[in-house]
Formats: sequence, C-alpha cells, structure tokens
Amino acid sequence: MTSGTTTGLPAGVVARDVPAAPRRRAKRRKDRAGYLFLLPWFIGMLFTVIPFFASLYLAFTDYNLLNAPQWIGLGNFREMLDDPLLRQSLKVTFIYTFVSVPLSLVVALGVAMMLNQGIKGLPVYRAVFYLPSLLGGSVAIVLLWKYIFGFDGIVNGFLGWFGIDGPGWTTDPDYALTTLIILHIWTFGSPMVIFLAGLRQIPTMYYEAAAVDGASRWRQFRSITLPLLSPIIFFNLIQSLISSFQTFTQGFIMSGGTGGPADSTIFYNLYLYQQGFSQFHMGYASAMAWVLLVIIAAFTALNFLAAKYWVFYDN
Amino acid sequence: MAGLAGLAGLGLSACGRGFGGGDDEPEGGTVQLNMVWWGDAKRAEKTQAALDIFQRKNPGITVKTEYQDSGPYKDKLATRFAAGDAPDLMAMRMDSVREYADRGALLDLTPHSGAVDLSGLSEGARTLAAVGDKTYGVPAGLNAIGFVINKTLTDKFGVQIPDGNTWSWADLSTFSQAVTKASGKKVYGTHFDAATLANLIVFVRQQGEDFYTADGALGVTEATMVAWFDLFNQMRASGAMPPAGFIEDVGASAAASYLAKGSIASQIIPTNNFLVYKEAAGGNLALLRIPGETQARRRGQSVDCPHLWSVASASKHQAEALKLLNFLVNDIDASKATGTTRGVPASSKIAEELKPSLTPDDQLATDYLIGLQGEKLPRSYTYPPGSSKIQSSLESIATEVEFKRQTPQQAAKAFLDAGRKALGK
Amino acid sequence: MLCVLGAVMMYPLLWMVSSSLKPSRDVFTDLSLWPSNWDLGNYPDGWTALEHPFTVYFVNSLVIVVLSIIGNLVSCSLAAYGFARLNFTGRKLFFALMLGTMMLPGHVLLVPQYIVFAKLDWINTYYPLLVPNFLATNAFYIFLMVQFMRSLPSELDDAARMDGCGPFRTFWSVIMPLCMPAFATTAIFTFISVWNEFFGPLIYLTDSELYTVPLALRQFIDSEGQSQWGQMFAMSFLSLAPVIGFFIAGQKYLVKGIATTGLK
Repeated sequence: MTSGTTTGLPAGVVARDVPAAPRRRAKRRKDRAGYLFLLPWFIGMLFTVIPFFASLYLAFTDYNLLNAPQWIGLGNFREMLDDPLLRQSLKVTFIYTFVSVPLSLVVALGVAMMLNQGIKGLPVYRAVFYLPSLLGGSVAIVLLWKYIFGFDGIVNGFLGWFGIDGPGWTTDPDYALTTLIILHIWTFGSPMVIFLAGLRQIPTMYYEAAAVDGASRWRQFRSITLPLLSPIIFFNLIQSLISSFQTFTQGFIMSGGTGGPADSTIFYNLYLYQQGFSQFHMGYASAMAWVLLVIIAAFTALNFLAAKYWVFYDN
Repeated sequence: MAGLAGLAGLGLSACGRGFGGGDDEPEGGTVQLNMVWWGDAKRAEKTQAALDIFQRKNPGITVKTEYQDSGPYKDKLATRFAAGDAPDLMAMRMDSVREYADRGALLDLTPHSGAVDLSGLSEGARTLAAVGDKTYGVPAGLNAIGFVINKTLTDKFGVQIPDGNTWSWADLSTFSQAVTKASGKKVYGTHFDAATLANLIVFVRQQGEDFYTADGALGVTEATMVAWFDLFNQMRASGAMPPAGFIEDVGASAAASYLAKGSIASQIIPTNNFLVYKEAAGGNLALLRIPGETQARRRGQSVDCPHLWSVASASKHQAEALKLLNFLVNDIDASKATGTTRGVPASSKIAEELKPSLTPDDQLATDYLIGLQGEKLPRSYTYPPGSSKIQSSLESIATEVEFKRQTPQQAAKAFLDAGRKALGK
Repeated sequence: MLCVLGAVMMYPLLWMVSSSLKPSRDVFTDLSLWPSNWDLGNYPDGWTALEHPFTVYFVNSLVIVVLSIIGNLVSCSLAAYGFARLNFTGRKLFFALMLGTMMLPGHVLLVPQYIVFAKLDWINTYYPLLVPNFLATNAFYIFLMVQFMRSLPSELDDAARMDGCGPFRTFWSVIMPLCMPAFATTAIFTFISVWNEFFGPLIYLTDSELYTVPLALRQFIDSEGQSQWGQMFAMSFLSLAPVIGFFIAGQKYLVKGIATTGLK
C-alpha cells in the first residue's frame, strides 16, 4: 500500500510536517522525493534520449553517413515492405527467440533450484556453470566453436562412434541456426545467477512452515517458490525477450558478420548492422531499428498485461 | 562512502591522462597527423619503424597512429567520418573506396601530383583507385592472387605438380582428384572459395568480360556465372574438392587454414600472404598462377592491392598528409622498414631497389608481382558503391549452390538480379 | 549428472589453457587437450608482445570496471527505489521510457552518441565509458533492482514510516540491506560486461596506452598477418582470471539475502 494518493492515514514524517494535510501538498512532497531519487537518471537521459530521438529522425531520411541526411518521409518503411532479406531476418529472429528463450529459462531455473539445495562444493558448481557466459565473444571462442562443431570436429567425432555422419553444424544452412540455439542455451549462466539471487530472497520461514504442515517438495515449489519468485521470473523473461530480439554477437561471430550460411543466421540486428555500416544505409537501418522497437515493445506490453495474472508482488 | 571515494581517487591517479581531456594537439607549430590502418601487432612494429624515420626527417610533424583488425576498423572509420572526425591518412578497402569517394569524403590526388609522385607506379597500379579522371588513393602495396600447393603432401602421395604457367582448369581438376584418390580422401586436392570476389573476377576476365564495367555496372554474363558455379559442382562431385559443408571459413587465417592443417593440398591466396602460409604449412609451398591463363580468351589475372592509402578531403593538414603519403610510396627507407607486410611496394622502382634485401621467399612473391606488372593485362575497374551488397549476395547464393538448394542456372540468375538491384543499374 | 554437465561447461576453459601452452603452429594441428609440445613462453612473451605490457591494459580495464560498478550500484539503486517503492506523477510513463531505451538496437545510436561525446570533447578519454554509468543509463540494472525491491514485503516501508523514516532513510537502512543479492548480481554483471566490452572502448579510445584488455587481445590477430595464436590464448586466459575471481568472491553476497539476515 505504498501508493500515496490512496493512503488514508498519512503516517510518520509526512503527517507531522503537514498539519493541514491537504492531499495536494503531500502529493507534491511524494513527487519531489521520487524525482530526487531519479535525478541521476534524468540527467543521464541526455545521453540516451538525444541519440534515441536522433535515430527516430534518421529513420525518415536517406542517410549515407557521409552526406547530410535527406528527408524522404516514409520511403524507408515502404522499402522494407519489399525486402526479402528483411523478411528472412525477421523469420530467423522469431524462431531463435521463441525456441531459445523458454528453453534457456527452464534450464536456468532448473539448475538454479538444484544449486540452491546446499550440495557439497556449491560455489565451485556455480562458477563452473557460469563459465560459458563469462567467455563472451572473444576471438578464442570463435575458434573453439569451429573446433567443436566443425565438419571434423568433436561433435561429429562423437556421433561417429555411433555410426552417424554428422553435418557441418555451422556451415550447413539447415543446421546453423540450431547450433546457435544450442550455444545460447549453453550460456544459461546469467538468468541462472539472477534466479539464484531471487531464490535467496525468499524467506526460509515460509519453507519451514510448509515443512511443518507436511507439504511435499512439489507443493512447496508450486505454492511458495513460484509465486515468490515470479517477479524475478518475469524479469528474466522480459530481459531475455528484449535481448534475444536484439541478438547480434552470436550471429556475427559465427558467420563472420555475413549471416551465413545462405542467410540462415541473418538476425534482424545483424542485417541492420550490415545495412548501416557495410552498405552505408544508415537511414534504412534506423527505420529498421524503430520497427524492431515497436515489435519488442508490443511483446513487452503483452507480457506486462499478462503479468497481472501470474506475477505476485507483495505490495 | 569514504571507501568508494578513496577507490575513485585511486583510479584517477592510476591513469590521470585518460581523464584529462581528449584533445592533445601539440603546441608550438608542430602538426599532428592522425593515420589509421588495420593489421596486427607485427605489422604495427614495422609501420611504426617507418613512421619514426618520417618524423626524424620531418621535425615539424608528429604522426599518431591507430590500428585494429579489419572488421572493427571499418566500423570505427565510418563512425568517425559520420561524426566529422575523420583521420588525415587512412587505410581504405578497395571495395569501399567509392563509397567514400563518391560522397566527396576523400581527396582527389590528381591535382597534387607535385606532392605525391606516382610516376614510379605501373599503369595497372596507378589506376587501381582511379574513378574517371580522378584518383582517390595509392596502393599501400601490391598483390595478386596465386595458387599455392603443399609440396610435402604431393611428394607424399606421389602426385606431379602441373606447370603453373600453362595449366588449365581441367589440369587443376585432374591434379586435385589424383591427390584426393591417392590419400584415400584423407586429403582433398584443392579448395578455394566460390564467393570470394577476387577469385571470381579472374575467372570472369578470362571469359573476356569485366565483372564491373568502367561505368560501375555489372558486366558479367549469366552464362559465365553458370560456368563458375558448374566448375565447383563438378569439382565437388569428382572429389577434387571436399564435400559441401566441409570448409568453415570464418576467422580464417594462415595458421587456422585447412592448407596448414593438411586437409587440403592447394588453395588460392593473396600473394602478400605467401610467407605466412608457407610457414604455417610447414615450409614447402609452391606458388603457381591461376589456372586457365594461357587457354583463356584474355588474361584473367590482375595486379591488386591489400588496401589503399587515402587522404580525407576534410583533413586540416592536407599538405603534411600528402607528404607522409609520398614518403610511404617513394622513400626506400620506408619500404625497408615495412617490408612486404602490405604487399610488394607500389612503385616498381622501389620494389626493384628493395628486392635484394628480402628473404628468398619474399623475393619469389615479389618477382611474381613484378613479372605480372610487366605483362599486358586488361585493365580492371574500381568496385562501385553497393559492391558490399553484391559480395554478401554472392556468399549466400554460392552456399545455396553448394548444398544443391539451387541449380547453377537458378543461382546465376538470382545473383545477377540481386547485383543489378544493389547497383541500381 | 551435475558432474557431467560441469565437464561440458568446463571444456572451453580447459581448451583455452591447453592452447595457451602450445606453440602457435600446434594450436590448430595438435587437437588433444594435453599438449605434445609445451611452450610456456607464450605467457611472458604475450605479456610484452604489444606496444605496452599487459600491465597497462589490465590496470586500465580494472579502473574502468571498478568505477562502472560503483556508478551502476549507486545510480541504478536510487532510480530503482524511486520506481519500485515511491509513487509520483509520471512514474509509469518514465518507467516505460526507461524500458524503451533498452529496446532500440545500439548500432543506430552509435553515430549520434559519438557526436554528443565529441561535442563534449570527450573522445579519447574514459568519460564516454564511465559517466553514463553514474547517470543510471543502464536500464537493465534498474529493471533488475526494481523487480527485487518490488518483491520485498510492503510492511517494511509502512513500519519504517511508523518509525519516522523519510524515503531516503527507508531506502538506506531498510531496503538496501535486503537487496544485497540484487546488488551482488549487478556488480557481477557489470564486471563481466564492462570487462569484456569491446565496441565502446574501440570507438572512443584512440591512444593505445588507454586501451583495455579486449582491445589489446584483438591486436594479436589479423587475417593477413602472422598471428600469434599461442600468445593470444595465454593472454585470453589471464584476462578471464579477474572475472572468475570476482564471481567467486561476489557469490558470497549472492547468498546474503533475507535467508541469512532474517526478517525482523
């Protein structure tokens, strides 16, 4: 019940300082406190909002980076309707997002739950599971992937024991995206760490009480863990969704920036980058960026609406 | 909070300069040039050695360089130009020179022939960055593509290496099949990339066509593209080349190449990389010309360059930048310091002068280039704006052919359609 | 099962260590994890192979990382508290705007951002990399902390108010101590992302003495050159050490939530 306007009996400082207690003045006070906490953020907006709206302007221009932008109205958006590679990039991005986000969240939650049960050597396991996420997109890792997923790599060597001739996991257009999804799931470390932190936030007394009542493990998970963890699950979901729609590095590294083989890993953001920096169509790239923003915003809004039914806040 | 403030203070003292403000233009009449290029630490050492000589000879000028590897380099350069913060002298990719030049971002060197002397360059080298009657850069070095064969492997399997001056595409195929067969498919005879423009361009020129025409259109015919894709399909089918999906080119470098690993016996390389490949492949590498040169309608090979040196039209220190450019092109000390890291010196005069001081392997590659320049080769034209789109279409379409998702006929048509659209002609 | 999974996860690190102990030539030909030729020289040689010794790059990276962590923790926690526990006019709008800034691909922001920083004369300094972190520009961390703070029971604020605490006291003495896991997560994530960041330093730094570790690592490799693979792996491995170390140290605080401090 922190919502100020509905507080029936203002308590504490607010009440003492404003004896007349007109609601408006209390409200202004609340506003001032809120804005004070957000002050750094408001100043920071200068760095985010100027470029943000600059790119919106560029979306309506023909801009080649070297000459001044020329206003062309909806020209870029019209061009997008007739761009087969743009459609392909949307398809790749949607498949990747809708397969890898749920899978990696389930894996991350599962492993976090396992690790939360005081097993021996816990810190070591946590570090080990987090390792792949630490490696980032360095040159060394590209080589490693080639080495593991190459035509004569480790995976195919392993399949060879069972008499299976494996494909070129990164070179065959039918398999490259699958390989990227597998790699993405393998780096479940970030959501896992957040889940772990969230699990630690759940007061142990709830579980103690449930144990006294004789509730089963599954029951405890359903009635305590899930609801109390739901804000964190929600965060991970939104966050994974936003970052997955914007996937760039994975695709860039694997294909050397081409989105190959045969455009099978041409993520939306990778295509946007090609347009902007390789082909000097920064106006078109900006238009693409704003379309992506609308898509992501729509999915995020949908999730915020759905959240009313499953995310449990204690206030 | 005291702890945090203390930490911050520590940070500040650790690198005071970084926080002190960006503009460190020196005072008192000296000019600071900003020169950027791509490469690795080894090339940096050699480049710096040349620049040290330049600064010694020109006390009023200091040169601040910066380098990255080629991918990030390209992004940073574009960003700097867009923000009006262009470097004075820069390495320029052959396929982007017109993206910049056509928009007025690069200095035309033609009126500055007094400052930058290009008389020592062969016709082929001088026209590499020519657009109409303007010149937007000087080759930082010259190279060409050449065919290398791992002699250790051919000796091991007892396969004869064909005569590199007269061999045909059919000879290449026969040779490669022999290697594959003799090794029991442990080693494939050859592989080169169907989607590398440099490779395709030689083939197209051999058919009597220009890949890019003088007015920046696509000159290659559908029939030639079909023949190109067919060549690869046949070589894969006969075992001369490894099967579809075998080769992973990303992050390719000499040490990581299939040639060095010994899973293929021959490939096409840029000649300025000959030394590096030779070392990576165990030291026994033969350098041949591209097949088909003597059977073709006309010569396909051309003199090329790893990159150009260009001057920004917005440079505030043009005179000094041109002076540095002239030093890099025409001063033998500069070439002695840099060696052949960017290919054979663009000036034939300097190349001849440099040759005696090179290692025998370096001399081999240098002779290959000097020889090529002495021959009568048809002229090639600069990549028009939009060529990076053509490159990426080719990559995608070549893979479609490789995996039999498109026939060579379909692919040729798709490629030409995409190419014409990208060039707007 | 955890052990098998652990082995799969460990593999890249082991491979990196093994490659760092091989001569460059063997990195791609000797495929076993146990090097057949040992080359310990990659470490000392790699450390000094570039223009400056790696000490310089490590110090630079550490300075940027430490300041970024401080900046993110302070500015994002303030903003998050505002969004999560205070009610003020325009809260929902600002929150949506904040989320919106996460949704636009960074590539189209690059040029305008560069222009802003160039106008401030901040090119070739650490300011473009640091100042935004002190101004809560990282929506990810704000959102993360908001979610953590919202999951705390609301009785806490009410109780604090009863005790006469203003919003700042409530934030400092009640909410902050309970959000340690969120802060630890933020610190760890900031460490990793800033430590690995390549593009920002690439664009904004020009003097090699200001370079960070990822920029330096890329200087070992170029497709046209005689790349020093063994040295690159050796330095890559060393550059992982601080991240792993920080993670292991930081985990301690991941577990110091309500579970251990208790709910009074």
